[in-house]
Amino acid sequence: MKTRNAHSGKKGQMKIQQTAFMLIALTLFFALVGIFILGFSLSGLKEKANLIEQEKAMILVSKLANSPEFSCAKTFNNKVNCIDLDKVMALKERIEKYEGFWEIGNIEIIKIYPKQEGVCTKENYPNCGKIILKKEDEGIYTSNFVVLCRKDFFMGVPYDKCELGKVMISYTKK
Amino acid sequence: MDKKGFQIAFSWLFAIIVGGAILVLAVLVATKILGIGGAQVSAETQKSLEVIMNNIESVFETSLVTSFSLPRKTQIVGECYEEGPFGKQIIRVSQKNFGKWSKPISGASTSNRYVFLSNPAEGKIFYIFSKQFEFPFKVANLIYLTSASTNYCFVDAPPSIKEELTDLKRMDPKLNIWVDDCPQKSLKVCFGSSSCEINVDYEEGVVKKRGKKAHFVGDALMYGAIFSDKENYECQIKRLMARTKELAEIYMEKENIIASRGTCRGSLSPELQKIKEIASEVQSSEDLLKYKEVIEEIRRKNENSECPLW
Repeated sequence: MKTRNAHSGKKGQMKIQQTAFMLIALTLFFALVGIFILGFSLSGLKEKANLIEQEKAMILVSKLANSPEFSCAKTFNNKVNCIDLDKVMALKERIEKYEGFWEIGNIEIIKIYPKQEGVCTKENYPNCGKIILKKEDEGIYTSNFVVLCRKDFFMGVPYDKCELGKVMISYTKK
Repeated sequence: MDKKGFQIAFSWLFAIIVGGAILVLAVLVATKILGIGGAQVSAETQKSLEVIMNNIESVFETSLVTSFSLPRKTQIVGECYEEGPFGKQIIRVSQKNFGKWSKPISGASTSNRYVFLSNPAEGKIFYIFSKQFEFPFKVANLIYLTSASTNYCFVDAPPSIKEELTDLKRMDPKLNIWVDDCPQKSLKVCFGSSSCEINVDYEEGVVKKRGKKAHFVGDALMYGAIFSDKENYECQIKRLMARTKELAEIYMEKENIIASRGTCRGSLSPELQKIKEIASEVQSSEDLLKYKEVIEEIRRKNENSECPLW
C-alpha cells in the first residue's frame, strides 16, 4: 500500500514537472514570437519615419521658396517658386537669427543658367554662382528648380533680372 | 482517501496559479502593445498633419482648403509659446482607443508655422485652410484648423468674405463653413449683429467670442480670431510681430544691397524703421488697430516706389 502511494506520488510530481516545462516552453515561444513581431513592426516604423521625413523635406523646398524671407512676391509679379536673390543676400547677413527656424540642415541656392562660379559674398554678389545660407552637417539633399530674380540696372535704369537656379536643402535620416 | 483528495486539489491549485499568472502577463503585454500601437498611430497622424500643413502653407498663395480624416476620434491641441526669437508652436495629437484617450504625442516645436484652432479640436474629420497675412508685406501663411463636428455659419458677411468662403465651399462641398443658409446645429458668426455665438465688427476690427474680444487687421487675422481661442490668438499675434520685425530688417538690408548697384527713386528705410518700431510696440491684438492707417500708407508707398521692396 505504501509502495503504491509513493509510486502514484512520483507520477503526480512527474506530471507537474511536465506541465511546468511545457508552460515555460510555451511562454518562451510566445515571448520570442512577440519580440519578432515587435521588431518587425518597429523596423517598418523607422522606414515610415524616413519616408515622412523625405516627403517633408521635398515639400519644404517649395515652402522655402514661397516663404516671405525668400519669395519674389509682388516685386517680381508674384512668380511661383521664385527666389528674390537680393533678399536672400540680406537674409544671409542675419541667418543666425533664424537658427532652427526651418528645421533643416543646410540651405544652398545654386545658379544653373547662366552658369557662374564662386560662393557669393557681400563683395562679389551678384557675380557669383552659389549662395550658402546654412552649412551645418552632411545630410541627404533634396532640391527643386527655381527662378532666381534680382534688381539690376541698365544705364542707371532699374529692371528685373531673372535666371534659372536650384534650391537645395538637406535633412538627416533617422 | 483524504490523501488522494489533497493530490487532486494540488494539481488544480497549481494549474490555477500558473494559468492565472500567464493570463495576467498576457493581459499586461497586450495592454502595453495596444498602448504602443495607439501612440504609434497618434505619432503617424501627427507627422502626416505636419506634412499636410507644410503642403498647404507652401504651394498656394491664396486661400486653399483641404481635409483629412482619421480612423479614430482624435483630439488636436495647439500650444503656443512666445519664447525665442520667433516663438514656437507645438501640436499635440491624441486618439481614442477603447474609450480612453491615448497619451498625447507632440510633434517637434515649429517656429515657422501659425496654426489657429479652438483647443482642443476634436473629431474624426478635420478641415484646414490657409490665408496670407500681410503687415504690409507678407509675413506668413496662417493656417486655420477646424473639426468637421463644428459647423460655422457666417451671417451677413461683407461681399469679399462671402465670395471667399463660397469659393472655399466650392473646393470642398463638405466643408464645415456655411454662408447665410445656416444648418440647424451650427456656430453662428454674425457681422453687424451681437446676438450670435461669435460676433464680428468688421469695420472696427473686433471679434467677440465667449465674452472675450480679439482685435484684427485684415481678413487673415479675422479668421484667426474666429477659429481660435483668445489665448492662442494673442500669442500668435506676438509671434507674427516678431517675424514682421525681422522681415523689416531684411528689407532694409535688401534696399542697401540694391543701392550698392544703382539708384532707385524713393527710399523706404524710414518706413521700414517705423514697421520695426510698431512690431516691437504691439503687445496685444488691440495695439494693432492703432497702426492700421500707417501700415496701409507704407504699403501704398512701396507700390508706388521705383524699386518696390516687396
